[in-house]
Amino acid sequence: MSNPSKPARLRALHYPLFAAALLLLLAPGLALAAPAGTVVGLSGASVVESGGARGAVKLGQPVQVGDTVEVPADGKLKLRMADGSVISVAAGTRLTIAAYGVDAAGQRQEARLSLAQGLLRAVVAPVERPASFEVNTAVGAAAVRSTDWFVEGSATAMQVGVLTGSVEMTSGATQRREMIPARWGARMEAGRDPVPPRVWSPAEFAAFIARTDVK
Amino acid sequence: MGSGKSCAMAAVAALVLAVCSPADQAFAYSATGDRLFPATLVLPQIAPGDEFYIWADTLPQTPSGDGTGTRQSSFTAVYAKTITDRLGVVVEETWTRLDRVAKGSWSAMQNLDTEIKYLAIDDQPREFLLTLGLDREWGGTGAQRVGAFSSGATTPRVYFGKGMGDLDIGYLRPLAVAGLVGYQIADSPPRPNLVTPGFVVEYSIPYLQSKVQSLDLPEFVRGLTPMTEVLFTIPAGRSLGARTTALIAPGLSYAGTGWEFAIEGLVPASRASGRGVGAIAQFHLSLDFVAAETIGRPLFSAP
Repeated sequence: MSNPSKPARLRALHYPLFAAALLLLLAPGLALAAPAGTVVGLSGASVVESGGARGAVKLGQPVQVGDTVEVPADGKLKLRMADGSVISVAAGTRLTIAAYGVDAAGQRQEARLSLAQGLLRAVVAPVERPASFEVNTAVGAAAVRSTDWFVEGSATAMQVGVLTGSVEMTSGATQRREMIPARWGARMEAGRDPVPPRVWSPAEFAAFIARTDVK
Repeated sequence: MGSGKSCAMAAVAALVLAVCSPADQAFAYSATGDRLFPATLVLPQIAPGDEFYIWADTLPQTPSGDGTGTRQSSFTAVYAKTITDRLGVVVEETWTRLDRVAKGSWSAMQNLDTEIKYLAIDDQPREFLLTLGLDREWGGTGAQRVGAFSSGATTPRVYFGKGMGDLDIGYLRPLAVAGLVGYQIADSPPRPNLVTPGFVVEYSIPYLQSKVQSLDLPEFVRGLTPMTEVLFTIPAGRSLGARTTALIAPGLSYAGTGWEFAIEGLVPASRASGRGVGAIAQFHLSLDFVAAETIGRPLFSAP
């Protein structure tokens, strides 16, 4: 004899489980959908690639994890990120927000940017516990916790200049690292160790500031 | 008789000066573009900087009778501070021990030495820099028994540094040459005036690894810069018993994070420079690296 009430009981049991599973699956999606940052400064006709679609960047527009912004040769762009960090992007830059996670208190947990080409200045918001802020380029990576710094990248080289705090630059090819303190800078070429850092002149910093200054 | 004694004293003084010259002038790293000139041990620094360094050296001497020196050993400390990004001052103090023939040793301080430096040219693409310096040795601040002059001296200097990285010469690009020419003007006789040229030839392994080709070298080797320094002192005008000296110093510098350690042999190339092979070792701390946001900053600088 079959028991007609058993499937019904099972279905009744499965619905809440399914709903809970669906909620769990959606929750990260909802979190991912939260903006990683917002455009707070803009000049020129920058473009954002988001979800396969390209569109003009607008002031106040949110940017998401996975978005790529392209700043033209006559443009500049400034982003305020979810943790309060400010990223100023110079002309001729292509930048992807590879990861940007913040907790409920707005504290950064992970930030990873991919700089295919160009220059950016990052004023990185301090956080209470260790949480890196990393920029990857074709030739290596630069990581900080809290600082005001510049990173310029291309297919063949990168360079980092530090106004305050310190930055660790790592060669993608040799894994050699150089710590770069405030007022110092260093370069790195594809396939090689980082060049030992040195003190940068005010003129060198001024040039980078001018290139990333967004009114 | 009196004249002979004066000449003998001048000769001893010149000898001491010749031996002291390296110890009076050591320098730390300087940089232009991607070229870093590591701390040398015999030549003065070629650019202003924020640094503290110490070195010890010892060199056998040529004695000329009882009571004259057989070996001189020194311990020196130097503090360099930038006033602006291109202008800096240097303060240097040396303690000397003089071992003597048939007598006990003497030990005391040398004259206080100071210098002001201005970085006039910093051509980064060509890895070239040029600095103007004015050194002042304060006479009478040290002990004459270890060779310090009662008379001071002022030395205008021109420093230069040139890396070969901008030339298409393959594995020779890590080569660099740096040096100086100085003219030491004594306040009064019997101290002679001297021309003090010197140079260093160096091959930077860090430059090789970062700018030419990353080779699979042991960690220690990656931080090395082999170099050879050469320093001359040439009497100018009335020699007052001083003779031309030449000192050759081959050695190695190892660069750590914010510090350097270097060691060199001291090989006199003339009898007036010394009697046998000596040695010098130096530890250098880059204050602009380890205290970049405090004492390592220029006093006046753009943000």
